Amino acid sequence: MTEPLDIDALTARYVGPVFDEKTFTFDAQELADFAQACGETASRYTDPADPDFQASPTMPTRLHPGARFPEGFPEVAGLGMDAGKAIQPIAPIRPGETIVGRTHMHEIYTKTGRSGRMVFFVNRMELFDASEQQLAVSDSRIVIREKPSE
Amino acid sequence: MSESNIATVADVEFGVELPAFLPDISIDNVKRFAVAAHWDFPRFTDHEAARSEGLPGALVPGIMSQGFFAAMIHRWADGAQINSIDTIFRAPVLVDSTCTINGVVTDIDEDNGQVEIDLTMLNEKGETRVFGTAQITLPV
Amino acid sequence: MLLDLHAHSVKSDDGRAKVANYCQWIKAKELPIDGFVLTEHRQFDDESDYSDIGAKFGLTILKGSEVETEYGHVLVFGVTEPLTREFDFASIHLPLAQVIEASERHGAVAIPCHPGRPRVGMAAHIDEFGVPVGVRIVEVYNGGSRDDEDAIAQAMATELGYRGIGGSDAHIVSHIGRCATRFSQQVNNETELVEALKAGEFEAVTFREAS
Repeated sequence: MTEPLDIDALTARYVGPVFDEKTFTFDAQELADFAQACGETASRYTDPADPDFQASPTMPTRLHPGARFPEGFPEVAGLGMDAGKAIQPIAPIRPGETIVGRTHMHEIYTKTGRSGRMVFFVNRMELFDASEQQLAVSDSRIVIREKPSE
Repeated sequence: MSESNIATVADVEFGVELPAFLPDISIDNVKRFAVAAHWDFPRFTDHEAARSEGLPGALVPGIMSQGFFAAMIHRWADGAQINSIDTIFRAPVLVDSTCTINGVVTDIDEDNGQVEIDLTMLNEKGETRVFGTAQITLPV
Repeated sequence: MLLDLHAHSVKSDDGRAKVANYCQWIKAKELPIDGFVLTEHRQFDDESDYSDIGAKFGLTILKGSEVETEYGHVLVFGVTEPLTREFDFASIHLPLAQVIEASERHGAVAIPCHPGRPRVGMAAHIDEFGVPVGVRIVEVYNGGSRDDEDAIAQAMATELGYRGIGGSDAHIVSHIGRCATRFSQQVNNETELVEALKAGEFEAVTFREAS
């Protein structure tokens, strides 16, 4: 049994600063496949030939930072699961362009759930194009279900 | 092909239900999504592999459920600009099961065209598996 | 009078509903409830005043809390400022006995919610910790229940002689009013709510469609 995480200490030390920066480019057909598999019908998301073709608004939530946690973050026990995603699209993301995602830990909190104490880590990735125009804000809530005490 | 019949915020009434959406969560479609999303992991695309991880079967990726929510909005209002979708994954959604997504309008700001929508993904028993809220903008 | 005794607003970490939209929804959908109680997770929302919104929509809007104990989650009604000093509402390791004792001493009432739910429901902990002292009421209809969770709650209530309440556990607007509690008297404020609960003059009702 590992020691329970000290949430206040983790928050003070790790919440806020950007801990990862990663670049992404997107293939038009992959963007179209993503949209079509989700049942999109608007051609600006499903048809690469559409003059306004762009990524589906929720596409950025699929992006992973290069590191899951900041450097030095303690090893977390338990099964990490995806607890939720929030996306704020700001400007269209087009295929072929290079965008950068900068990730910081936005929040850490706990609650108890159907499977014991759960620790939630909210990582926020902010996406920018080459001119530093912000394109989207994507929050990823990872929940660690701590193993109960023996 | 679009089913949209909502053009402006004036077309929207508080409490109106979006046309129910039955998402395609067949293993083939989830595989297609997983490849396109670069989330091609066995827990999403292979029932047996998922069971070997202790899961009840292959799971629909949460980001795919969120994508269904966005698609449902665009089917209803083709020109809707999605400002945010916040999705909470309450319980796993099994690949090859049958789910329904319901959406209802819960807030309208006619001055700036903003509309809020509750979105709920239900299993065959009517239990909530995923829920969320979206804020969109429609032409005034 | 019908009150939904279990609802969350944007004040809760996983709540996504604005209180005014709950009210608007209740009226637009002609739901049969007369009001609801906001039971925000791990806190008592002392700062919000919903009296104007309630008056505008003709609804009773009260405030309570949902705290976390070794027996699972517990609704507390009749929270007062002195009660908030008795224990740390934000803790997820509160002893149920302390919550019950402090609540009673301060004129409040503590009610285990979704008791049939794994981990966060009281029934799952009775084998380990025994039947808790002081529980008289449990939530037997919860709008977020899955599988046989409500049935487990009802069976436990019958076996242990508890009275039952109902609440939607709504986190989004369209889930308000899925379950509620019918009172034989008018309930206008938190004090009257506690009195009615202690008097036992209520019954749980559900409006969820049978699946």
